[in-house]
Amino acid sequence: MTKLAQWLWALALLGSAWAALTLGALDLPSSCREVLWPLPAYLLVTAGCYALATVGYRVATFHDCEDAARELQSQIQEARADLSRRGMRF
Amino acid sequence: MEAKRDALGDGEEATGTDQVVGLGLVAVSLIIFTYYTAWVILLPFIDSQHVIHKYFLPRAYAVAIPLAAGLLLLLFVGLFITYVMLKNQKVTKKAQ
Repeated sequence: MTKLAQWLWALALLGSAWAALTLGALDLPSSCREVLWPLPAYLLVTAGCYALATVGYRVATFHDCEDAARELQSQIQEARADLSRRGMRF
Repeated sequence: MEAKRDALGDGEEATGTDQVVGLGLVAVSLIIFTYYTAWVILLPFIDSQHVIHKYFLPRAYAVAIPLAAGLLLLLFVGLFITYVMLKNQKVTKKAQ
């Protein structure tokens, strides 16, 4: 089975379980019902928050190499000067 | 050419604004996560006369607000794609 088929299968299973419980298949106490019905939205928001936090953390801890960046920029300028001397237009 | 650096041949740590922005993102996501978790998961188990319910909107908004935000996001992504495609078309028309 392909990965897509697996994901769709899992999604269909969990989705139908959620739908059945929300529509009253089992007799749940009302507080559990209240937690259950926004669950898909909650999981999506949690996944989004996790993604945002991961991106933020990796941005904050990324190791810059200032020397290498400057060196690269000067090499780019050199290459542009050289190529435009040989007639290439940018 | 310089000698090859090792795998962690990084220089100093991240630059100033990078750290601020990154940690800001982490803080924002933590705030959203804790508020939303309290709203969806904890509130139903707290007695309805408790004062904390004053700080949270009615429960229907817990699904409506993320849904509206998601739709807005899709709208902006679509507008951005349209803008870039139109700009590309104009450039190719000019070059012809």
